[in-house]
Amino acid sequence: MARLNAIPGVPVLIACLAILLIWDLLSRVVMVSGLPPPWGALQEVPVILTDKESLVNILASLRRMSIGFSLAVAFAVPVGLLMGRSRLVAAFFNPLFMIIYPVPKAALMPIIMLWLGVGEMSKILVIFLGVSLPVIYHSYQGSKAVEEKMLWSAAAMGLGPMARLLRVVFPAALPEIMVGCRTGVVLALITMVTSEMIARQTGIGNIFFNALDMAQYDTVYAMIIVIGILGFLCDWGFEAVRRMLLGWAAPVHDIAVGSA
Amino acid sequence: MSALHAVWRRNISETLAGALPIVLALGIWYVISAWNFAPASLLPSPVTVFRRFLVLLGDPQFLQNAGATLYRLFVGFGIAVMLGIGIGILAAGNRTVAALMQPVIRVLAPVPKIALYPALVLMFGFDHSSKIALVVADALFPILLATYQGAVAVDPKLVWSARAAGASQTRCLFTIVLTAALPSILTGARIGLIIACIVVFLAEMILSTDGLGQLLVRAARNFQTVDMFVPIIAISMLGLLLNAAFNMLSKRLLVGFPSQN
Amino acid sequence: MATDMIKIAGVSKVYDTTQRGRHVALGDISIDIAEGQFVSILGPSGCGKSTLLYILGGFVEATTGQVLVNGQKVTGPGPDRGPVFQEFALFPWKTVLGNVMYGPLQQGLSKEAATARARELLVLVHLQNYEGFYPKELSGGMKQRVALARTLAYGPKILLMDEPFGALDAYTRTRLQNELLDIWGRDRKTVMFVTHSVEEAVFLSDRVFVMTKSPGHIRKVFDIDLPRPRVRAELLLDRRYQDYVIAIERLMDEQIEEIA
Ligand SMILES: Nc1ncnc2c1ncn2[C@@H]1O[C@H](COP(=O)(O)OP(=O)(O)OP(=O)(O)O)[C@@H](O)[C@H]1O
Ligand SMILES: [Mg+2]
Repeated sequence: MARLNAIPGVPVLIACLAILLIWDLLSRVVMVSGLPPPWGALQEVPVILTDKESLVNILASLRRMSIGFSLAVAFAVPVGLLMGRSRLVAAFFNPLFMIIYPVPKAALMPIIMLWLGVGEMSKILVIFLGVSLPVIYHSYQGSKAVEEKMLWSAAAMGLGPMARLLRVVFPAALPEIMVGCRTGVVLALITMVTSEMIARQTGIGNIFFNALDMAQYDTVYAMIIVIGILGFLCDWGFEAVRRMLLGWAAPVHDIAVGSA
Repeated sequence: MSALHAVWRRNISETLAGALPIVLALGIWYVISAWNFAPASLLPSPVTVFRRFLVLLGDPQFLQNAGATLYRLFVGFGIAVMLGIGIGILAAGNRTVAALMQPVIRVLAPVPKIALYPALVLMFGFDHSSKIALVVADALFPILLATYQGAVAVDPKLVWSARAAGASQTRCLFTIVLTAALPSILTGARIGLIIACIVVFLAEMILSTDGLGQLLVRAARNFQTVDMFVPIIAISMLGLLLNAAFNMLSKRLLVGFPSQN
Repeated sequence: MATDMIKIAGVSKVYDTTQRGRHVALGDISIDIAEGQFVSILGPSGCGKSTLLYILGGFVEATTGQVLVNGQKVTGPGPDRGPVFQEFALFPWKTVLGNVMYGPLQQGLSKEAATARARELLVLVHLQNYEGFYPKELSGGMKQRVALARTLAYGPKILLMDEPFGALDAYTRTRLQNELLDIWGRDRKTVMFVTHSVEEAVFLSDRVFVMTKSPGHIRKVFDIDLPRPRVRAELLLDRRYQDYVIAIERLMDEQIEEIA
């Protein structure tokens, strides 16, 4: 078991098989109602991915997700870094973020649609809101943990405040920022899926509810598999990037969790 | 004395700084609606919204919906806590369990659980159970991971001290390791609680016949803007309250542990 | 005095590390220790002193060889062998009294009896006024006294002490050495004491084992023939004490040169 686990990819494959087997058992032995065996759903996955309309829908969703995520990172990292280095900035933002934290961001979808319509803007804005907080939080923690002495030596070398933030604080906080981004990318997907399930008109939500209305349960489960794989890939891809960029930092076992 | 004064003054100025953006946001909101920059059908005045909120707090139908939400939230969270702590501790105490769990968690944790909701509705129907199941699925992982990581990080010498005193291995796991991991477990549980709060609301928005989330969707369908704001404010306040209550509980449970921020 | 209470026969420890392969932590150790003896172990850092003590405690399994205590093979931890660690390892969620009561309660004593027993020991370590304190509210020296009391409370016949005073300041250290000798003088437990301080080893012990560098073997045994009760001020002026210290330090210096 231990030796098999050491080969990269093998544990994940075994885990996937185990999940499918448990699913199969639940559907056929325990006979959970409304749960078909996984094999039909699995066969439906390539059908969805080759169907032109579905594919366009999914790709459009992914595009919104990337845009919302990038904008959020561009906004959140500087804010977080500043908060970590200035007590006043931290005091300014902290209560506001504490209030925003338990607001379900995807639930703002109806209100945002009221203001901005059903277009791209609304969907990107919701993702932006969903991703920002965790990235700010982790950048904040990372920047707060930067050793004072490192900054003193940098100041002694003649670096100004901006240069110190860019060339000392940012790289030192990068491992923690990456943790935030990893959580953020998963949250971007979650927020995207949730908001589209609430709005229903387009994208993944549309596919889901069409299938539900027409009682194509295999399609429903196939969509879940597709979204699940997307989530895993987002997380795994980000961890791979992190490891490439930050081989020097201790491995982070933090697994991204969150909710829109 | 003057040092104390300086600390005081700093605390006051920091509190003021923190209040500023909130006051500012409310002010801008008020000005926009009061001076008719935006029609009330798009952005009702904060006064109207909060007044409506207070009125609804006395409305039995609203309370019934809020009660449904609370019920799902707490039952789901409770199950998630029991499962998360149980599995997490078992995995920390048994290598085989850990080796089996780790890849499964690695695959399942980043999956957007909300996508399971249509399937959960198919399996459990429109009523409480499907929402509770979703809350469990979503709140489970932060609790499980925090428990496992906290338990693995417990100083083995703490366990050895107990073992030498005559405690059995199993007993150590469920008394010493579990207690020593409590700070981490509570952090995970707090995240899980907020997630539970959020996800129950979202589930109710997606497919439900009642609950706070459903109230928001209904209001949106009828273009009753004021009633759209109220459920959101209600769920946020609930989140804040639960967070505060949880912090208080944590402080009580963590007597003796080195304080952590 | 005649019987060998502890028989360590050909004990070694090899760690299987995934990154660096097999790592020999402890060479081949054979020691016999008579009942009631106070034995110290000295040796360069990383030579396996802690490992040896953990094997004796039954916390870590030996790769080869075996340990017999009173003729019984050690297979796991037991209340006949009480550990005291450098890091104290107190239960942070229990008060001083709660920590010391833990052992007696595990031994099946009633709550009242355990409390009475714990109070006795707190008097012994001069902490009777601190029973309601939490460990984090105590100084290092006080914490180590609590740890000692907690271990003594379940009446182990053997004390396994791993640099117990290593984290304390010099003054507290000498005070605790005196207290330890005091307590030891009452019921003459068998003590295995790991330290880095040659003076401490000579001052406390009947025998001092000096280990080689990693992987450690026993290099030499010194029988410390000094009268008891020992008084620090007298010993410091005692020629024999000085000779022991110098001889052991020389031996250890030689090793350092061998390494370099
Ligand atoms: N869990 C472990 N896994 C792998 N190697 C270990 C482990 N614990 C200890 N070692 C190795 O075993 C060797 C002996 O360690 P040990 O802690 O017994 O030394 P020590 O003599 O107590 O050192 P010190 O004086 O610094 O406390 C060291 O080389 C150490 O790296
Ligand atoms: Mg050691």
